[in-house]
Amino acid sequence: MNGNRMTAAVFATAILLAATSAQAHHSSVMFEDKKEVTFEGVVKEFQFTNPHSWLVVNVTNKDGSVTAWGFEAEGPSTLIRNGIRPADLKPGTKLTITGRPMKDGRPGALFVKAVRDDGVEFYPGGRPAPAARP
Amino acid sequence: MTSFKKFAVPMVLLIVSASVFAQNARQSPDEFRRMLDRGIKYRTAAELYQALKTEAHGGKQSPPFDQLPDWSGLWTAAGGNTFFDAGPGGIAPKLRPAAAAAVKKGEELAAKGIEYDENLSQCGPPGFPRWLVIPFLREFIVRPEETWLTSETVNNVRRIYTDGRSHPAPEERYPLYYGDSIGFWDGPKLVIHTNQLMTRSMGRQQPDQSDQMETVEIWQKVRAGVMEADVWIYDPALYSEPWYMKRIYNQVPNPEKSVRVQYWNCTENPNNEVYKTPDGSTNYKDLTFSNKDNAKEPKR
Repeated sequence: MNGNRMTAAVFATAILLAATSAQAHHSSVMFEDKKEVTFEGVVKEFQFTNPHSWLVVNVTNKDGSVTAWGFEAEGPSTLIRNGIRPADLKPGTKLTITGRPMKDGRPGALFVKAVRDDGVEFYPGGRPAPAARP
Repeated sequence: MTSFKKFAVPMVLLIVSASVFAQNARQSPDEFRRMLDRGIKYRTAAELYQALKTEAHGGKQSPPFDQLPDWSGLWTAAGGNTFFDAGPGGIAPKLRPAAAAAVKKGEELAAKGIEYDENLSQCGPPGFPRWLVIPFLREFIVRPEETWLTSETVNNVRRIYTDGRSHPAPEERYPLYYGDSIGFWDGPKLVIHTNQLMTRSMGRQQPDQSDQMETVEIWQKVRAGVMEADVWIYDPALYSEPWYMKRIYNQVPNPEKSVRVQYWNCTENPNNEVYKTPDGSTNYKDLTFSNKDNAKEPKR
């Protein structure tokens, strides 16, 4: 973690809690529930599997070393329903990715959002509802 | 961004509250009470099932295809009542003391962020009646002699025999994850009786159901894209009187036919392997993508 290009952030993620609190393969208690981390990185591999998928992203640290971060999401059918296909995030894809990090400090996180370098956004738990008009 | 943060939490609470209200609003407290009482009126699930069959003038067994409803498409759980939470009007299930204590303990652990799933974390099947509340895709395959109520989670299939057969004889029965289900058609409604269930956890941090549990369900498509199941659960080891819950299932929009149910191999990805931590919670085992130099491997 030290020196990573972490751009940050800590704020409430109730939308994501609602999206991920369903009775899936396992609980999401291994992830922080109120913290998010955001990195710029390059997709290393997309493990499109049941019951959970993992998007592995190489993140270059300030010292030049590379950490492979894994971002966990639901399985293939849920991802496809939410507009995420394997070919959308192929190895080599540059992106900015946000997740809720693991509590034990390992480089894993619950996949919250990714923005590809062409600006396309991906929400594995479903796109958040638009803000209400004032 | 600042304004987003300012309004995000109340908005989300509003959305979640509205969603819960919408689910419960589909059934008034009076209607919920009437359905609950319908189950309480009978001592056993078998008696309720027989009463429903009598009301349906015996119901239909193996009706021809043209008399069966169209339940095709992909479906997913869209809420409804649960096993241990109060229903509309705050009407709560009457639990045996041990079950009430287990519910309370589960809530306390969950509040501390301690959760473990005795079934799904080990790639076991959700089983029934937990099957009613799990997420992900479902398909309902309707044939005259048999209906399959399926879910993509670990490829489970509930087979509902509607050809007039009875349950296995008592001396042939043994505990089953999904029980043994027989049914009849009452017009477009499928009425199901299930017994032969297994003693096991009903969900994450929830009490165990017993092998005395039996259920009655009435399934029907209430309008295009919406299926509902009325469910009565009889388990004298768990509830001091039968519990009732309505479950709702929505059709999944799939205009391009791109969403399909595929084989679910729970163990295909080693990164999904978890273990029970010393405090009773859940954590991942080794993560294959993790650089050992950076990883802080947990003690197990």
